Amino acid sequence: MTILEIAEALKAEVLVKGEGLDRPIKNVVSSDLMSDVLVVDDDDILLLTSLASDQVLRTAQIVGALGVVVVNGKPLPSSMVNVANDLHMTLMTCKLAKYQANIAVYEALKQNG
Amino acid sequence: MSEQPQAAPGDKPANSFSTTSHGMSPDDSEPLVLLELIQRMKVRDVMTTDLTKVPRSATMHEIQELMRKNKISGVPVEENGRFFGLVSIDDIIRALSGGYINDSCSEHMTTKLVVLEDDMPLSFALRYFERYHYGRFPVINRDQRLVGIICQRDINRTLLRELSREFNRLESKAKGVDADTASGIYVYREFPICKYDFERAGKASNQIKKLLQERNIAPKIIRRIAVAAYELEINLCVHSDGGVLTWEIVNGKSEIIARDAGPGIEDVEWACRDGTSTANEWIRSLGFGAGMGLANVKRVSDSFEIYSRKGSGTTVKSQINIAEAQQKQV
Repeated sequence: MTILEIAEALKAEVLVKGEGLDRPIKNVVSSDLMSDVLVVDDDDILLLTSLASDQVLRTAQIVGALGVVVVNGKPLPSSMVNVANDLHMTLMTCKLAKYQANIAVYEALKQNG
Repeated sequence: MSEQPQAAPGDKPANSFSTTSHGMSPDDSEPLVLLELIQRMKVRDVMTTDLTKVPRSATMHEIQELMRKNKISGVPVEENGRFFGLVSIDDIIRALSGGYINDSCSEHMTTKLVVLEDDMPLSFALRYFERYHYGRFPVINRDQRLVGIICQRDINRTLLRELSREFNRLESKAKGVDADTASGIYVYREFPICKYDFERAGKASNQIKKLLQERNIAPKIIRRIAVAAYELEINLCVHSDGGVLTWEIVNGKSEIIARDAGPGIEDVEWACRDGTSTANEWIRSLGFGAGMGLANVKRVSDSFEIYSRKGSGTTVKSQINIAEAQQKQV
């Protein structure tokens, strides 16, 4: 599944379309602790988080994530959109709580094999 | 030089503050280019003038929100052009732990301030940072009006801009020298990192990653170098009083060095263990401080060294053998 297909499954609003939109998501990391994200070795991951800060995007860029989903319908600081544009990182928000978002992504990935 | 002033908390305006006397000279050991630059430039050339100010009635909580929203670490308290004091991140942290975050700032702002004048040479500002260990200084003009704030980040940014030409010249020179090295690449970059500067934290590592991508290094090696750089950059930002991150590729090896001047680590072995951290709640709320940083740097590095002493500085060195790792991947 590509990141935009997952966005659809989450009914997420895509704020920035970055690079790698055609690449399949290989793993999903769900965390509010960036230290945890930094120990993930998988490629082409999607990061689900309820933390709305620029550092989320910088962390995602460092580990080579394809995009970031901020859950809980949190309003994002405008700087996040700017940073996402600078880093060519896909950024979206969804209204689901993190737990529900995790389930929705899991179900979507399962259905798509 | 007079040690400062002092308005009674909350009442008297701070624009009666005096500044220190003139007559200091920079360290003779400074390189000539830098010496010329810090003598020639004025505080007004470097300071931030777009200030977020609050009245004395603002609560500490309101200021905390302003800092969060605007990603700033110090807010001057001013009314009708009269400068009363400054609220810093440290004041906010004390208010949070002391349970008076909803009090008005006039009761808790810092009024014992040292201020600089806008027409002072930059060398004065540097001396003040060295002497007082403050994160920032308010800047006043001849009419005693607050006209800006200067922090080390402002100075570093300006000096780096001015020195970039010199770096470029050295880099081109070094490229020729190292043309026959294992990777055929020579890179040197230096990034000053300020304490609690979350607005910029991570930018250096993002830049390092970009430079590596431009040089067609394998993605897995890029990730290791970027993770090491990022963890060390965040560490400098949240744990040190500020420092410098340097990155060099020479002879096919990437070497990142994070160096700070304090406060130092009491038990280095303990600090390098997974899950051990001295980070406060504020840092944790930003997604960091889980105590995995140094252990993670060690994990991704081929060679890891750390030197530290409580009350003194810390130096961490991470080396990753690019040439060897590239060969393994082929």
